[in-house]
Amino acid sequence: MSERINNLITRRKFLQLSGVLAATTAVTNPCRVLYALTKDSGEKSASQIREVFSACDMCFNKCGLIAQVENNVVKKLDPNPKSLKSRGMLCARGNAGVKQLYDPDRLKYPLLRKGARGDGKWQRLSWDQALDHAAEQLDKIGKEYTRCGFLFMAGTDMQSTFVHQFAEAYGSYNVISHESNCLLSRNRAFLDTYGVMPTPDVLNCKYVIMPGSNRFEALVTPDSMDLMTAKENKSKLVVLDPRFTKTATLADEWYPIKPGTDMAFFLAVAHVIIKEELYDKTFIKNKTFGFEELREHVKQYTPQWAAKETDIPAKDILRIAREIAAAAPSAMIYPGRRSSDYEDSTQIRRSYAIVNALLGNWDQKGGLLVPKKVKPGSMHIEAPFYEDNPDDRVDAGRAQMMFDEEGSFKHTRDAVIEGKPYPIKGWMTYKTNPMQTGANRNKTIKMINTLDFMMTVDIAMSDTAWMADLVLPAPSYLERQDPLSAFLASSTCSGVITRDPVVPALFESKPVFWIVKELAKRLDLGEFFNFTVDDFRKAQLKKIPEVAKALKEDGVYNITGPSFGIHKGKPFKTRSKKIEFFNTRYKDKGIDPMPVYKPPLVIPENHFRIVVGRNAYVTQSASTNNSLLWELAKENTLWLHPKSANTLGIKNGETVRVSSSAGNVTIKTRVTKETRPDTVYMDTGFGVLSKGLTNIFGKGACIAEILEDKADKISGNMAMHETFVRISKT
Amino acid sequence: MIKKFTIAAIAMAFLTVSIGVSMAGEKGNARKGKYLFRKNCRTCHLEGGSAKELSPVSKTQAEWQKVFDNIDQLACKDEWAKLSEKDNLDIYAHLYGHAFDSPSPAKCK
Repeated sequence: MSERINNLITRRKFLQLSGVLAATTAVTNPCRVLYALTKDSGEKSASQIREVFSACDMCFNKCGLIAQVENNVVKKLDPNPKSLKSRGMLCARGNAGVKQLYDPDRLKYPLLRKGARGDGKWQRLSWDQALDHAAEQLDKIGKEYTRCGFLFMAGTDMQSTFVHQFAEAYGSYNVISHESNCLLSRNRAFLDTYGVMPTPDVLNCKYVIMPGSNRFEALVTPDSMDLMTAKENKSKLVVLDPRFTKTATLADEWYPIKPGTDMAFFLAVAHVIIKEELYDKTFIKNKTFGFEELREHVKQYTPQWAAKETDIPAKDILRIAREIAAAAPSAMIYPGRRSSDYEDSTQIRRSYAIVNALLGNWDQKGGLLVPKKVKPGSMHIEAPFYEDNPDDRVDAGRAQMMFDEEGSFKHTRDAVIEGKPYPIKGWMTYKTNPMQTGANRNKTIKMINTLDFMMTVDIAMSDTAWMADLVLPAPSYLERQDPLSAFLASSTCSGVITRDPVVPALFESKPVFWIVKELAKRLDLGEFFNFTVDDFRKAQLKKIPEVAKALKEDGVYNITGPSFGIHKGKPFKTRSKKIEFFNTRYKDKGIDPMPVYKPPLVIPENHFRIVVGRNAYVTQSASTNNSLLWELAKENTLWLHPKSANTLGIKNGETVRVSSSAGNVTIKTRVTKETRPDTVYMDTGFGVLSKGLTNIFGKGACIAEILEDKADKISGNMAMHETFVRISKT
Repeated sequence: MIKKFTIAAIAMAFLTVSIGVSMAGEKGNARKGKYLFRKNCRTCHLEGGSAKELSPVSKTQAEWQKVFDNIDQLACKDEWAKLSEKDNLDIYAHLYGHAFDSPSPAKCK
């Protein structure tokens, strides 16, 4: 019964039926495969189009959309004009969502690994067989290694809450999210400065310094659109980035800063603002803590000193500091999102947070805000306690101040490989792909090979699913009912969104809620899941009927009214109840209470620093195989400066070997002045191992293969810019 | 003057922290504490319950410290008396460790 995934019978049948699906005609013409695979809804008129609200899931933004549905077939996805967060827009990825739904590469039924991990030999199982097997493994591992011997990892998804709830009922507190491969060090820094992670009011900002973030490609709604609007309104944008990104292209000024030196730039900006007394004295006195210490601390960090570190002229640092202070408080250092770069990434972001505080932009129009948020109700579970469990998470103590409810993928992986402080032998992943997004893919494989059992729930055969023992098919976001999600956005656009099935689920796919509920039943934990998603949503909506009404009528609930000037007189959630330039908790823990600059390691001769980034067509590894998006980005390339290429004797388009201590890959070059001579770059999401991703298998290289796995010392966030690579001809 | 005030403020903050750490240093089990809090406290301190809804983020670390320093003054002191010292420490570890201004504020209430 075993068979190779790329030869699955149903896949052949699917492709036979879907001759037209491969072409884009699916959007406009009836196509046989869709009729063959969808249930008859009784909509007899081919011209009758249903419009159904939903929220995009092609990345984490959850932009509002309206699906155009005909005879239970999604013809097109349009933006929801009522969705203020997405400013009534839908990006290329959002438009391509229909191809996630009608993707021939989708997982269709449960699969059990046969043969070695990663060989791609599978046996089809019924759901009962699959769930019985998973429950048996959960029970066995729980009994043998304690409940904490099973690890759970769920990506950013509106149903991930049910995976967390299942882990809690099952008894494991080893739960990690994707966030430690992304933005935890940023959150750590701002939480430890402001007591909260504020939201930037880009729309009303008059002067933005954007260090590293690439908002015109790595899209965040509404910031990406608001930045464009702000620029039309004469806002100034200064970009610091070793790459000439699309954001740099549209900036007023771009500085190809030496990687790893952003803190030097911002400490020098702080030096100028304080020395020249360009700050709001009343704000500093009333709202901040440790200003005198900061004044002393930044005396050493002059623009002249920073110029040598950053490769940015001192006169420009001085001028920019004066300009942004003059534009304050409608001015900001953009906090950014992905901050998984250096071993001191929290302290780097602390320097951003500190300069923002010097600008006095807290709760100000065009500054850093904490918008009003709807608080939906919830359904608590009274999870049991398992006395034999260890006292703490498996990764506890490996970072100085890890978030308890997030953990660290890097440190958990190390702990699993070492088997210390206790063994972990089971792993469940849901809609996350650490094989592609976690630095050092070989180490992830090593971790997986120490496990007795691994199960993955996903829409397609990601590289992580490819390595699993049991693979369970999930529906796309257009086929399922989700709980409510309340989101904080920017000016006047926070709100609530939800999803109902736009069309019935294809194949044998089942939502993760159903999967964990069925597992709970089999593990005598059914009492913790004796509800439906509908019940859950009713509990969420119980005290907010206005939200229910808006979701029904508009597909989204928007909080209207200004998001600034709403926290006057309120204390900050910090120890001092003020914005903390000086963090006493850090001092207690032996951490520098203010950011102390340490220069990045010198790049060894004949090496390059490799950096991570995004383009607008792909959400890391989640959408590179999407047939529409793949037309726009068929494989990744290595960005290499012409001077460096010339020194190495390498031509544009030539295939080269890129190696580090973690691994090596081959990839075609893109010789371009759009990166510094000492810095190389490639997109994430290619070079896959999974033959179940037919568009991109064999295309490009996997950056996770060559990234070494350093970590931010404070938060445990992966540090992905600490790798030096060699480049050679193949 | 400002410097003196700042130094005094820092010293006060250190003092507050050292008190908290000394109790936290007795190694209450926050995981067990979460379970015990839900089992013993959330029965009343929940939305629509007979007492004010409470979760770790309802108070700052200093406020939780004050609560635990004065348990005998709580309206529910008789309920607390039924708990062992270890249970008390575990609940403290959960609430103090995930307080409003803690390094890891509770997300799940």
